[in-house]
Amino acid sequence: MLKIYIDGKKYEVAEGSTILDACRQAGIEIPVMCYLDGCTHFTSCMVCVVKDVKSKRLIPSCSAPVVDDMEIEACTEEVREGRRVALELLLSEHLGDCEAPCHRICPAHMNIPQMLHQIAAGESVKALATVKRNIALPAVIGRICPAPCEKGCRRGRQDSPVSIRMSERYVADLDMDAGDPRLPECAQASGKQVAVIGAGPTGLSAAFYLQQMGHACTVFDDRGIPGGQLIDGVPEHLLPRDITAAEINIIRRTGVVFKQRQTLGKDITLDSLAGEYDAVVLALGFKELDELQPLGLDLSKNGIKVDKHSLTTNRRGVFAGGGVIGNGKTMAIRSLADGKAIAHSVDTFLSGHNPQGEQQLFNSAIGAVKKEELVEFMRGAADLARHEPADVDGGFAKQEAVAEAERCLHCDCRKLKSCRLRSYSDEYDAHQNRYKGQERKPLRIIMQHPRVVYEPGKCIKCGICVRITGQTDEPLGMAFLKRGYDSEIGVPFNDSLEQGLTHSSEQCVKECPTGALAFVEGEEV
Amino acid sequence: MTEESKNRIVKTADGDEINLADIDAILDRVGREQRYLIRLLHAIQDKYNYLPEPVLRYIADVTPIPASAIAGVSTFYAQMRHKPAGRHFVKVCIGTACHVKGAENLYQAFRRHLKIEGDEDTDNDRIFTVEKVACLGCCMLAPAVQIDDITYGFVEPSKVGNVLSDFLEAQKQTKSDMEAARISGALAGEVRICLCSSCTAGGTLAVHQELQKQIAELKLPVVLQTVGCTGISYQTPMVEVAMSDGRSFHYGLVQKESVRDLLLRHFKPPHVSTRVRTAIQRKLEELLTDSVWEPVTRYAMDVRSGPDSLYVGRQKRLVMECAGEINPMDIDAYIANDGFKALENSLKQKSRQEIIDIIKEGGLRGRGGAGFPTGVKWQLVHDAKADKKYIICNGDEGDPGAFMDRMILESFPFRVLEGITIAAYCAGAHAGFLYIRTEYPLAIARINEAIAICEKRGYLGENILGSGFSLKLEVEQGAGAFVCGEESALMQAIEGKRGMPRFRPPFPADSGLWGCPTLVNNVETYGMVPWTVRHGAAALAALGTIDSKGSKAFALAGKVLRGGLIEVPMGITLREVVDEIGGGIPNGKKLKAVQVGGPSGGCVPASMCDTRVDYVELLKAGAMMGSGGMVVLDEEDCMVDIAKYFLAFTQMESCGKCTYCRIGTKRMLEILERLCCGKGKQGDIEELEHLAAVTKEGSLCGLGRTAPNPILSTITHFRDEYEAHIAGRCPAGKCKELIIYKVTDECIGCSKCAQQCPAEAIGFKPYEKHEIDPEKCTRCDVCRQICPVKAIVIE
Repeated sequence: MLKIYIDGKKYEVAEGSTILDACRQAGIEIPVMCYLDGCTHFTSCMVCVVKDVKSKRLIPSCSAPVVDDMEIEACTEEVREGRRVALELLLSEHLGDCEAPCHRICPAHMNIPQMLHQIAAGESVKALATVKRNIALPAVIGRICPAPCEKGCRRGRQDSPVSIRMSERYVADLDMDAGDPRLPECAQASGKQVAVIGAGPTGLSAAFYLQQMGHACTVFDDRGIPGGQLIDGVPEHLLPRDITAAEINIIRRTGVVFKQRQTLGKDITLDSLAGEYDAVVLALGFKELDELQPLGLDLSKNGIKVDKHSLTTNRRGVFAGGGVIGNGKTMAIRSLADGKAIAHSVDTFLSGHNPQGEQQLFNSAIGAVKKEELVEFMRGAADLARHEPADVDGGFAKQEAVAEAERCLHCDCRKLKSCRLRSYSDEYDAHQNRYKGQERKPLRIIMQHPRVVYEPGKCIKCGICVRITGQTDEPLGMAFLKRGYDSEIGVPFNDSLEQGLTHSSEQCVKECPTGALAFVEGEEV
Repeated sequence: MTEESKNRIVKTADGDEINLADIDAILDRVGREQRYLIRLLHAIQDKYNYLPEPVLRYIADVTPIPASAIAGVSTFYAQMRHKPAGRHFVKVCIGTACHVKGAENLYQAFRRHLKIEGDEDTDNDRIFTVEKVACLGCCMLAPAVQIDDITYGFVEPSKVGNVLSDFLEAQKQTKSDMEAARISGALAGEVRICLCSSCTAGGTLAVHQELQKQIAELKLPVVLQTVGCTGISYQTPMVEVAMSDGRSFHYGLVQKESVRDLLLRHFKPPHVSTRVRTAIQRKLEELLTDSVWEPVTRYAMDVRSGPDSLYVGRQKRLVMECAGEINPMDIDAYIANDGFKALENSLKQKSRQEIIDIIKEGGLRGRGGAGFPTGVKWQLVHDAKADKKYIICNGDEGDPGAFMDRMILESFPFRVLEGITIAAYCAGAHAGFLYIRTEYPLAIARINEAIAICEKRGYLGENILGSGFSLKLEVEQGAGAFVCGEESALMQAIEGKRGMPRFRPPFPADSGLWGCPTLVNNVETYGMVPWTVRHGAAALAALGTIDSKGSKAFALAGKVLRGGLIEVPMGITLREVVDEIGGGIPNGKKLKAVQVGGPSGGCVPASMCDTRVDYVELLKAGAMMGSGGMVVLDEEDCMVDIAKYFLAFTQMESCGKCTYCRIGTKRMLEILERLCCGKGKQGDIEELEHLAAVTKEGSLCGLGRTAPNPILSTITHFRDEYEAHIAGRCPAGKCKELIIYKVTDECIGCSKCAQQCPAEAIGFKPYEKHEIDPEKCTRCDVCRQICPVKAIVIE
């Protein structure tokens, strides 16, 4: 047995162990990308570095053997910085978006590409779940949203953007037209109670998600029926009232209690609700500043002053969003997004933590895509013109929706969930532009395999696929080609990916640490 | 043609027909295992000028070598081509010395002349393929160009056309002209000439041919002897006349035309009258190397004992013992000069441990760069317990501006083999390889021949000198990858793989070639061994400093009057090397810095040139011993450009494995390129320092860890130049985008510049002052070089 000191603590490990083995044995997590259990180590990514105290060097833990009495630092800021630099260097040549532009632009952060793939695959129930994870009122939004996502859609550079709003409406309408709309699953009751004041888009969204999180919501509203600006601010020909009512009804059926004709300051007061409930959400819509004065909260020129991220007011347990803080003047989706953010913030608060809005993961971005590179994205998409529904009032029929969804370029990453470059970049707070290069390599998306997509720009040259195909006796397999900065992984002799990966594609995709090798359909988030 | 053999013809995408029977023959000759892969690829390329894809596929089909290895290896090494090439290769040297003398302009001039554009490297008629080559090792003849086997020195961009037509002309001459004529009778003496790569580049071949011809014609009783190089490159072509009475005369810068006169001065043919000879005598005085030496008076030289007394006087030749005296391939001459004494003594009278102790106590350190104590390394392999051990001689010298190992291999092949054999005996290795760059064909040929001679004479092979010790040595040819100088990468290459270093430990002494304990030293280190064993530890330890013992070979080049291969005692200062051995800076320019250690080293500024040649002192000065490139820079050299030059080299040579080196060097290079074209911005210097620090700290192997040194040392000593570049100025007038060419009033209107300008940037105005259009000007420097009155200046 060998002695090793990791961050000052002594451990004993077997002869022949690497530092990575020792750290794992000690329960210390070390990020690894080029390392794969059961394969000879390759030592290329340098993300697993630790510091050898005696030599004062950062060394790759996956390859460095433990020497008796070795002293290692595995968690210091210096080590973290070393890993961060390695990640940032990798990111500086990483040619891929994590989330697609539409996804990033959507104020509610709805995973639009996933919804579209699900529609295209005929999985409308899954598509609905995808939409409803972020948008509480998709039938409403699907009718009135100005759709900033479509302005960001890359397909727009080719011909015209995918009709995202109409697709979302299709998913929501399909559900409601079936007569028995699906209800989201709600977590077990937490025993906590939340008062939401205002049944406009912000309040409805907050209540919808809070109820799903297990917190009993009561919505207090000063009008006869819930809906707020969705009714007052939108003409009926754009948004039929029955649609709004039907979607609100879904929220009601999750267990949310609506109390109408309850005016704040008259029928109810902030103080009394704050005493009675575990948290209060102020979703009052647009108010003049003097109307807000009596609440006794800090105000800004836009309304109630809140922390931008957690949407907490200066009063503990009181949250505010939407019109009352100056958001959502032109877009209902902005208010819905606030409502969802409040739900996350309240949820963290109720479970005893500092209130925190929804966490955004690290996002890699290609930046400008050249016109001639669009063809790379077009390879997986239907070459059809944007489709407008034949029945303008009725929206898309199924065939139309599927055809339109097939126009999506799938420019999001197909490994949003399992890509370790993303999760480590998030964990180590890496910045993609830290080492921005002068000129990037051309974008390539190789779709020569019935199941696998290969994007060389996302490859970190770890060679895991080369080792796997070598071990599994692929006739051609994958190979390292060229040298240095120009080196890349490819199939020998310019053969197709299908010939390179005849039986090991599954394993290669699974072990590829980034989105370089992925299944065509991508993974569900 | 039979039906069967017809079926064996495959067509390439370029329309070439390949008979697979030819490939079978190659496979039979070379071998079918992965360890022979690089040799196979060389053999295929020798046959077809490139690697046709159908051939590679065929090898994957019929051998156990995986397709991924064939694809990977054939695209890793720079010398491997995947596209058909022209009939002849024009290799423009971009080594350091050539770089500072305008190699890039020269490369562009060849491309322009041959009308090669864009990504192409071959002219339309497929006659010439123009390539850059890391270093031809002819630094004193910079800028140098090699066309097939013929090397041209001092090539100016305006002379490109002449060079190409001269080459084509030379192709027409028949080999019979070069046949040597034999003579008989009593010998009056020897005429010695070196035909190593550097000397050949200096035009020695023509002189050699002329010597052969004249000796035959005049029927002189003289032996023409090819000898090991003296290292005096600045005097090339150089001829030594050794009379049978023991007197010897050296002639430098010998021209073909004067060969006859030179011979007649010393040797008497029966039919030449005395009268003629006397007339010739006078003319010949000018030819004596002494008289062509300008700077002699500057150094208070009162003893004119020989032409190279100063150059050689401060040197200390252990590895280069007998330089210029014996034929490199004459084993008897080597033996007569104490050759193989050390080996014989080791095998017959000393225990392994005794020899290792001599090396240890003598303080010999590795000459390949890092300076690891050689004796300790030997001890480790000696102590390792294994059935099989290997020995490797690292001859992959790839630093631009370094050619010591090449000279040593070419001029002292037996000495290197003797050193290796002693080391192998100590380590207990019975098989080994000399890994030599493919760019050194003469070194490879001579070592192969020397191995054969040694085996025949019992100095290698089975039961060496009857001692019972056996050693089988093979030459493994590189394929154009600087990184293979790193020992773990080198072993990968010998195993027939991509030359990518791996993490150490385990070190080669524990697990090296095919997992066996392996002793790896470089050429010069082995070359030091025979002298050390013969003279003993104390003799070596007496030379040099506390940390650095013995002597070190350097390739002295750049802005220095006398350059070449030098071997100096450790502890000599850089200033002594530059001023006394090198004869100072030419053209009245000032010394700016000395670049020591090539791409891993750094620039020692003139103010610190009292730094001694010593492993520790050089490191402290921000440089390193490296493998021994020493390039002298003067005030016309831009330090940012020098840093960019070296970084471009390491970036290009990075194997691409570890993140820090692959991307870190690229990002640093991008910043340097930005600085050199006037697009630098505030903060760039700090960003460079940061990137340099992380690349140095985190890279997997020595290449990446030392790659930032040229940047760090130039920032430390010449930060003001970096700042000037950010401000849009290049103080040395080197960076093209930051300078303009102007014609001064000195112009006499000869119109030469207008005729020569390849960019048509100068209007043809005879008898008037000419003007340069800065928009059209490509800063190729042709006009400035050609102007007879120096009326073209850089601003």
